[in-house]
Amino acid sequence: MTSRRKRNLILVAKWVCYFVVLLLAATLQSLPGFLQIAGVKPLFILPVCLGVAVYEGEYPGAFFAIAGGLLWDWTAGRVSGLMALGLMVVCFTASMLVEMYLRVNFINFVLVCGACCLLVTSMDFLFYYLMPGYAAPAQRYLTMVLPMSLYSALLSPLAMIAVRWIAGRFVPDNQ
Amino acid sequence: MKDFFYSKKFKVLVAVAVLLGGIMAWAGANGRLASAPEEILSAILAPFQQGASAVSGGVNGLLDKYVRIDSILAENEALKQENWELRDQLVEYDRLKAENDAYKERERLEEDSPEYTYASAFVIGRDPLEQFGGFTIDLGTLDGVQTGDVVVSDQGYLVGRVLEAGPASSKVMTILQPGSYAACVVSRTRDSSNLNGSSQYASSGQCVLENLSRDTLATVGDEIITTGLGGEFPPDIRVGTIEEILPEESGRSSIAVIQPGADINDLKHVFVITDFETASGQQAQEATSGAQSQAAG
Repeated sequence: MTSRRKRNLILVAKWVCYFVVLLLAATLQSLPGFLQIAGVKPLFILPVCLGVAVYEGEYPGAFFAIAGGLLWDWTAGRVSGLMALGLMVVCFTASMLVEMYLRVNFINFVLVCGACCLLVTSMDFLFYYLMPGYAAPAQRYLTMVLPMSLYSALLSPLAMIAVRWIAGRFVPDNQ
Repeated sequence: MKDFFYSKKFKVLVAVAVLLGGIMAWAGANGRLASAPEEILSAILAPFQQGASAVSGGVNGLLDKYVRIDSILAENEALKQENWELRDQLVEYDRLKAENDAYKERERLEEDSPEYTYASAFVIGRDPLEQFGGFTIDLGTLDGVQTGDVVVSDQGYLVGRVLEAGPASSKVMTILQPGSYAACVVSRTRDSSNLNGSSQYASSGQCVLENLSRDTLATVGDEIITTGLGGEFPPDIRVGTIEEILPEESGRSSIAVIQPGADINDLKHVFVITDFETASGQQAQEATSGAQSQAAG
């Protein structure tokens, strides 16, 4: 009984840590001018959600991605649920692909994160720039969307390190 | 594979996805970006964003500062303690100076336009995916800010309007956003027209004045101000200057590219005009509620 209680406490502590990291990521992501280069800011929420999905499996990862997506929607004043839905699908799929086909290491994580960032930012570009018919979409895509995905992917090991540390630190006893 | 799709976990995930779709549909049907949980969360997150924003100025130059501190420590280890104390005082001084500057600007604006009620606000959030300079400020409905309130820069230049006001923070739509119409006039020639955002010029922080007459006498450098017509913006708010005048595609009119007086993509501090009298002498809040009921109808 004591062992089960301890195990539950460890799990709760782990997920609390994940959510603290997520809150930190959301705050940094919305921080005006933080790490901004030539008008491009990196994404932090997506790499954290992806890290959790990779280390905790597709279902916990998908639900965590929903939380992360809602946080993104709410901090950015976007349509509630759109980014949550997008992150859920992306993290669920990425987690399964990594589990089946890839080893978890920095290079693979950066590559997967880059692809996921590109998918999410392209989705946003499609709905909020291309479909309303704004001017010079190709230029916008090349100068903002692609660099943002690349920049986010390059910084994604930070999220991976944080998530890996939490996942390794809070391991319940196998009893 | 069949078991995978019939598993309980997968069904729960699909149910949540459907729920999210419902939330989006509800938000869309109600004409609101935010939902009730969002307002609660924004109240919870506001202190985090404010705290992070307060240190953001330091974070950007973090590397430089640490390099400098290291060199000072290496050169003069004995003054370490004193150095830290001086830095603490400097941070405090900077904070007080920023506050003092903000209050001075507010006093100046209130002297210039005593008919307006100003609220001082700091920019606490900018989404990386935001394309037209929109941002979040640290004032909400608890501070008297409402949806539709006009936002101006420290120097009194038009920045935009409050798109959505939460309890402790508000989202601002800037004049760079296409569709953010404001009735304006060229100060020197009195040519009246609509100010609008342009996706073509937004990346360079500019907007356009549409449907100017082909034979307009307006020239580069002329000041643009609001007219107050329509009741959504107060009259005589400065917008910026004409950067370029171009013929419109149809050839029947001209557009003027406007360089706003406020550097919208780099604003740190703004003022929200929470109350003003419109050109017709009507109180702003009455005008706004009238416009909202018209929109609802």
